[in-house]
Amino acid sequence: MLGYVCKYTPTEIFESMGVEMKRIEPEVTSFTQADMKMHPNICSFTKGVLEEALKGEYEGIILTTCCDSIRRLYDVLKTELPDKFIYILDIPRITKDAGIALYEKRIRNLIKAYEEFSGKKFEEKKLEAILESRKEDEQITLKEGEVKVGILGARANDNIAKILKKKGATVAFDLTCTGLNRKCLLEKDQLLTGYTRGLLTQFPCLRMEQAAGREELIRRYSDSVDGVIYHTVQFCDNYSYEYAWLKQNIQVPMLLLETDYTKQSYGQILTRIEAFLESLPVKSREGKIRQGGKDRMYVMGIDSGSTSTNAVIMDQDRNIIASSVIRTGAKSGESAQRVLMEVLEKAGCTREDISWIVSTGYGRVSIPFADENVTEISCHGKGAHYFNPRVRTILDIGGQDSKAIRLNEAGEVTDFAMNDKCAAGTGRFLEMIARTLEIDMDELGPTALQSTEEIEITSMCSVFAESEVISLIANNKEKPDIANGICRAIANKAYSLLKRVGLEAEFMMTGGVAKNPGVVRAVEDKIQNSLYICSEPEIVGATGAALYALTKAGMK
Amino acid sequence: MQLVDKYISYVKAEAIKNPEKSWNKILFGFQANKWRMKLIPNKNLARGYQKLEQMMMSLVSDSLYRKERYVWGNIFAPCELMQCFDLATLSIECLACYMSGYHLEDYFIDYAQDIGIAPTLCSYHKTFVGGVESGVIRSPEYAVTTSLSCDGNLNTFRYLEKKAKVPFTFLDIPYEADAASVSYLADQLREFAKKLEQTTGKKFDENRLRETIVIENETRRELKKFFELQSRHFYPGELISHLYLMMGMHLLIGTQEFLDLIRFMNEDIKNYPLFEGKKILWVHLMPFYQESLKECFGYSKKYQIVGCDMSLDYAKEMDVQKPFEALAEKIIGNLFNGSYSTKAEDIEKLADRLKPDAVIHFCHWGCKQASGGSVLLKERMQERNIPMLILDGDGVDKRNSHDGQIKTRLEAFLEMIETGEGKSC
Repeated sequence: MLGYVCKYTPTEIFESMGVEMKRIEPEVTSFTQADMKMHPNICSFTKGVLEEALKGEYEGIILTTCCDSIRRLYDVLKTELPDKFIYILDIPRITKDAGIALYEKRIRNLIKAYEEFSGKKFEEKKLEAILESRKEDEQITLKEGEVKVGILGARANDNIAKILKKKGATVAFDLTCTGLNRKCLLEKDQLLTGYTRGLLTQFPCLRMEQAAGREELIRRYSDSVDGVIYHTVQFCDNYSYEYAWLKQNIQVPMLLLETDYTKQSYGQILTRIEAFLESLPVKSREGKIRQGGKDRMYVMGIDSGSTSTNAVIMDQDRNIIASSVIRTGAKSGESAQRVLMEVLEKAGCTREDISWIVSTGYGRVSIPFADENVTEISCHGKGAHYFNPRVRTILDIGGQDSKAIRLNEAGEVTDFAMNDKCAAGTGRFLEMIARTLEIDMDELGPTALQSTEEIEITSMCSVFAESEVISLIANNKEKPDIANGICRAIANKAYSLLKRVGLEAEFMMTGGVAKNPGVVRAVEDKIQNSLYICSEPEIVGATGAALYALTKAGMK
Repeated sequence: MQLVDKYISYVKAEAIKNPEKSWNKILFGFQANKWRMKLIPNKNLARGYQKLEQMMMSLVSDSLYRKERYVWGNIFAPCELMQCFDLATLSIECLACYMSGYHLEDYFIDYAQDIGIAPTLCSYHKTFVGGVESGVIRSPEYAVTTSLSCDGNLNTFRYLEKKAKVPFTFLDIPYEADAASVSYLADQLREFAKKLEQTTGKKFDENRLRETIVIENETRRELKKFFELQSRHFYPGELISHLYLMMGMHLLIGTQEFLDLIRFMNEDIKNYPLFEGKKILWVHLMPFYQESLKECFGYSKKYQIVGCDMSLDYAKEMDVQKPFEALAEKIIGNLFNGSYSTKAEDIEKLADRLKPDAVIHFCHWGCKQASGGSVLLKERMQERNIPMLILDGDGVDKRNSHDGQIKTRLEAFLEMIETGEGKSC
């Protein structure tokens, strides 16, 4: 079995020689080998392929000169696996005749090299038979469905499509290199030339020169779907240009989704896709509504975050009856159970009085007593609108992520941006720094307010920032000044998130970090506007969830 | 000095507030700096490096004044062809560095990232895209890029074509170094010459290209000599001097002026005492702003950078009789093209000639090809008993380079080579 990664690889040639061809789709738990043998800052897909290749299941691997990371992967694999057939195929970026002629030569060289390696023989007749059976144009069609979503951008594993399907959305088109059908051209009088032409003239990826036709098709297709997911791979930069361009030039809602080919990233992908779908036209939800309390009806929202678990009980007139905030322990399910008991007690109700429970937050799927779950992005939107209907932009900084959410007048989410898998600019980051400064987390904000000297924390990475703080301490800088520097670093990070969704007033800040006056001041300075903060910023998500529950129970 | 700092802060604030109006202020600053370098040169620098600094500053500041006199390029664009049309080549990497003279790189980078450009992209490209997007950097009439080594090239220039309406020629550089590749690229270069004829209205003269290549061959021979002399003599420079040399070897090679400079340096260096410290061979880019590195290598009698792979990324003679094929061969044979083992071999050859005490490989943020091969190079250097240090940082964005960490790694490494014990770290 030979592994390959790129759609321009002439797989049919090998199939005609009786070789099984497998497109490598890594899903790994860590990049231990890759970080050691390459470098951490290499495209995650490439690192994943390295991990996969070193497992040794392949007779060889055929790479292409598609990008810098893959070129270096070739060098590493060649060194690591000297007995295997490790080959890099040089693909021209020009698809005109000169490119085709050059690529045909390259393919012939590849055939020769594999014949020498394997002892097998390539016969044109066999290739012709395969091409005959698959003779079809790369079919790019638009599929119909109730909620139509298109997928664009860099290669993606099938998780995105699976999630969409599970959530009742149709993948109307998938123009990533892994989503397209193959294009086989059969020209009997010049078999290899025709075959090469077919390969090179597939729907172009962004490494190819002729990517102009690409934009035309994307524009046309995007007009007829409800939303577009633009996928990029961590440390692969090529597609971000197209995203930046499309964002300014197409009207349809678009989600930028970065993945890193690890198993762990599934949860984050799920949240983002769900929130995106929720922001598209509403779909009907299933489930049976309980009768609830006799005189009045109650619903509950529960927000299971990484740092705190929060619950809100609301009555049919949208009044908050009770709320609770507790620290999340090691198991989100147990914390949810505790907060449930606590909030029921505060409200003086029993479990049976609650008609509908909506869960949200990272742990939303692990709450067994919830009737439904909605992402924290939609819930924060609804909750913010409930507390202050004039709010158009929300900054939510929680324990492990930060988000900027944009609302319309009706409180519906119209755009959102989230930090990537990185602690910079989150509550965890503040906790880490507070520990380094040897002050209590709650003191960090008030301490920052006493600052007299401006200190710039330049590192964007939280690990680097921590060591930068240590150097500042070593240089005898004052704690308040360092604390304030950190608050401003968080504000800078937040500002770029806010800018990604547009800076429309009024602003609201939610999440645990909204209780930190140092960060609040720094963000206000940065946006040159004031932040609305409700009395308990940690229950905004849970309030939104309760409002969803109320809608569900038909009492909005 | 205070006045300079004030002007820098003023221009930065203006660029953010009134981007469209800031360009002339930026150019004025460059001009002023050019004259300052000429009239009051930095006496601590060796004379050759003083002249080099002036020459690079003149290239940028004089070209930018007239948009019909220069093209945007990338660092590997064939400046020889542009010279045949009296056009200067200003690479976007080089311009990004000059913009950081006004401390604008962070603003530009954030600007680019805010519109959706990947944070993990090369910072030179982000700086440049942000500079154009924000309305600060003005455009010339034409651009040219190659696919050599850096993925960002095609996409950055394609983006700039859309946004800033600067048409460009894309030169596809094949990975394999064989005859088919050479003729494939030579044909593209011929097309490009025709394109420049149309753009400038000037006739292309192949003899002029031949003359350029004669000068280029001579310059490269002189540079090899200079590296060897620099490995024997103390020749006080700053970290940025080596970056200027690298820029000159890509943007000015083929001009008589640059050849004369290298010749001058070869004469001048002989007046300096013998160098008795540790000799460092530098691989890849230089973070010219990095405090610890500046301190360590600036005018240092203890540690001297004797050469850099990027300044001599092609070392062979070019065939004057077939100028287009010669240019194609040069680009394809660049040590940044092809497999990493070719690059490692070229660096080994350089090491054999210069006999450095150590190699420092700087991994620039976003440069996948450099980072991805760094471990392989380290192993190759180990085989030759040359200790090698891998430093992670950023050539232009200070926020991606942590000075404390670089300082610790660097100092520990230098302590190690002082004792002569170490192999690599």
